Amino acid sequence: MRVLLVVAHPDAASYAHASAEAALRGLRAAGHHVDVIDLYAAGVSAAMSAEEHAAYEGPQPILDPVIAEHADLLRQAEALVVVYPTWWSALPAILKGWLDRVMVPGVAFVFDDRRLVRPGLKHIRQIVGITTYGSPRAYVRLVNDHGRRILARTVRLNTGWKARVTWLALHSIDTATAAQRDAHLARIERTMRSLS
Amino acid sequence: MRALVVHSHPVATSYSAALRDRVVATLERHGHDVRVTDLYAEGFRPELSDWERQHHLDPPDAKPDLARHVDDLRWCDTVVLVYPTWLSAQPAMLKGWIDRVWISGVAYELPEGGNRIRPLLTNVRRLVVVTTHGSSKFVNSLQGEPGKRIVTRSIRLMCHRWARTHWIALYRMDRCDDRRRKDFLDQVERRLERIRGVRAR
Repeated sequence: MRVLLVVAHPDAASYAHASAEAALRGLRAAGHHVDVIDLYAAGVSAAMSAEEHAAYEGPQPILDPVIAEHADLLRQAEALVVVYPTWWSALPAILKGWLDRVMVPGVAFVFDDRRLVRPGLKHIRQIVGITTYGSPRAYVRLVNDHGRRILARTVRLNTGWKARVTWLALHSIDTATAAQRDAHLARIERTMRSLS
Repeated sequence: MRALVVHSHPVATSYSAALRDRVVATLERHGHDVRVTDLYAEGFRPELSDWERQHHLDPPDAKPDLARHVDDLRWCDTVVLVYPTWLSAQPAMLKGWIDRVWISGVAYELPEGGNRIRPLLTNVRRLVVVTTHGSSKFVNSLQGEPGKRIVTRSIRLMCHRWARTHWIALYRMDRCDDRRRKDFLDQVERRLERIRGVRAR
């Protein structure tokens, strides 16, 4: 299976990157082909530009060659694995911006002749969210998990509601012990090894 | 009323900019103090940097490039967010403003060794959103309205205990004609005027 793994954290020594590496180990051990996008390292700009906004509904909505390359990887992917720290119960701006710029007409969806949105990511069978929360589980439940909803509902709608969603989360990371952190990394690797 | 209007749209002549102008004109006509932050126009950088993450618990004075944004947030009693809803939430530019400006020492404080944060923006008594959605209300409710809940729950909890939230939204904009768009501009004005404290008594 072709897997696209996207990681959104500014520090290469972060727990998010350790999580991404654990996922990568598991996926490679299972024999999958994995493409990795490190949004900060790739220097992705989060803000959709005025030119991109103007081109959005045209024949060529992607203007940035880096984003075009990412869109090609997304088009070929059968699984999308997203690794990020949850900020404000939601996606970091760089990840939201990457989605804003790559999930455009012709990639994520198409407009039909009645201007209704039709899914374009039917080839994606699996969506995996790997994230950490500063807050305890109860607080995230209270305010709702906006990041998870964007990936597990909004992005999933573009797969024709077909993709299976797997969610791997570590809550209260600020007070998590080293053992809990390590156990979560092991869980990520184990779960990714059995992804099919 | 002291209103901070935050706008996020890349195109200066967009419908979103027209909504921003109508919001500002309505509030000023009723004699309120209005400050406008136009994130694209000022070239705001939405990506939280590695330095900012490592120093996220430092006092905000250590981040002089954010001083004006911090001052605006502490000054206002009303925050009005004007933006198009993209992928069921705020454009990354606006999410980045929240990530970078609503920080420890400004929006909340984290007591030593705790997980539960304490709100600091108790001066904010109203949160107003003016937004447009390409899709229908039905599709948005399937998606769980993450953009709406980021405001009415996540950042709302950093404001005054009794802060009110107001949601003024145009749905199905992909299939709206010009007349419907014009109507919504007028509707925004009327809805704003219905908010307690906007109309002079």
